[in-house]
Amino acid sequence: MTEVSIKVTDLTLRFPVYGVDAKSLKKNLARVTVGGRLSSSQTGATEVTALSHLNLNLRAGDRLGLIGHNGSGKTTLLRALSGAYEPDEGQIEVRGRIAALLDLSLGIDPSATGVDNIRLRGRIAGMSSKEIEDKMDEIAEFSGLGPFLAMPMKTYSAGMQARLAFAVATAVEADVLLMDEWISVGDADFQKLAHRRLLNLVERAGILVLSSHDAGLLRLYCNKVMRLEGGVASEVKDIRRLDELLAAA
Amino acid sequence: MESGQHMLRTGRRGTLFEFSMALRDLVTSYHRRGLAWSLAWHDVVSRYRGSILGPFWITISMGLMVLGIGLLYAKLFGISVAEFMPYVAMGIVFFGLMAGTINEGCDTFVQASSMLSQTSLPMFTFIWRTVLRNLINLAHHAVIIVGVILFFGLWRVMDVFPALGGLLLTIVNLAWISMLVAIASARFRDIPQFVMSVMQFAIFMTPVFWKPDAFPDRHAFLTLNPFYHMLTTIRAPLLGQEADGLSYVVLAIMAVLGWALTFSVFAITRRRIVHFL
Repeated sequence: MTEVSIKVTDLTLRFPVYGVDAKSLKKNLARVTVGGRLSSSQTGATEVTALSHLNLNLRAGDRLGLIGHNGSGKTTLLRALSGAYEPDEGQIEVRGRIAALLDLSLGIDPSATGVDNIRLRGRIAGMSSKEIEDKMDEIAEFSGLGPFLAMPMKTYSAGMQARLAFAVATAVEADVLLMDEWISVGDADFQKLAHRRLLNLVERAGILVLSSHDAGLLRLYCNKVMRLEGGVASEVKDIRRLDELLAAA
Repeated sequence: MESGQHMLRTGRRGTLFEFSMALRDLVTSYHRRGLAWSLAWHDVVSRYRGSILGPFWITISMGLMVLGIGLLYAKLFGISVAEFMPYVAMGIVFFGLMAGTINEGCDTFVQASSMLSQTSLPMFTFIWRTVLRNLINLAHHAVIIVGVILFFGLWRVMDVFPALGGLLLTIVNLAWISMLVAIASARFRDIPQFVMSVMQFAIFMTPVFWKPDAFPDRHAFLTLNPFYHMLTTIRAPLLGQEADGLSYVVLAIMAVLGWALTFSVFAITRRRIVHFL
């Protein structure tokens, strides 16, 4: 068993923005046939630098909160840590099983039943069929949906959908947990349940990276904090210095 | 090696490195083949949810077409129904596999964009999903094939193994075409329309509904059409005839060159595909 860790070295991520025009083949063909004329305004896709020279070292027990304005790169960093993006420069190395809880609706099919969605979502998260069947009762119980699990998800209220998605998403055995802000789902009762389950998960998971705008939430779950601004990261600081970082805004 | 326990993503470049990463994607998709199967199966189930006959509706509509065209064209061309009906039945069903795999290939990555942008799932998984989904559909339509084989007594003359060989070669070729159009469609949104037009054109240019007897053997009109080779290597043995050896050779060469091309394109564009979407 390897030590759980996240090591990000000098990470730079750029997003090429393919304009609506550039997505049409005609423009590219025209460039070839007409020669430079069109290309003067079209050459090379515009690039947005989403993350710039970011360094980060986390070890087991670290629970990092990410703060920053909209568009500062928090979600991009989380997605990069989940392995979805290839760095343009630098390197990301994650040891341990990753669970990315970034989008509750990932892999959810509204016309399928609750049970089918648990299976599908579980498979996407990397569980085997057997693992899923073993956990099915626990997930079903936690979701509190009872007989509704046999109904199509589209008949669920938004809160019920969130309950189910949350129950499946948090059923995975993970060493590294990546979360985008979405904990405020369901009614008050469910909030309490969700909170307990998350704390449990965080305890089992070696590392948590949580992006949030809620200072209270960050204080509750995290012991470290990092601020992103325009894709540039601050130093990783102790959570007690959160106010300092917030004030720097 | 990529495993559940270790993930490494680097900004390292270089042709050799890109190819090894592409290969790693392929290997990972093999280790997680159960996922591709689950997704494909789910696609079929969810498309026909609430319908009693499910995918068999397509089978029925194909069957009707086989019946209508089989009877009508046999009369028009002056061929016996017993000779023409099985010919058309197999033509329609197997061309359906080709058109389905290639046309749906265009949507492969576009459809999976939310999964691709927040997980580290291998991209090949989604290619297998499209291919497997079409094979599941083929399994339903096989009812028609079995029907004509029994009804017209073809089991006495047919040769199953060469036909399975032809089917395997066809699938290997369809897979790379499907992947190539998947990558191209992610980048250029005109490609799906273009591919659909080509496939529409191909169904009439390929001997699906007509017999190539009017052409001398190995006429360029036939030998230059890849779909002709795919179809004939599957169909001829099932009809108790022998497919031209040339067709097997063409398909084998096409598979090797096609995969080399597609894999190279994938290696070069792999890190960009998620940004295309």
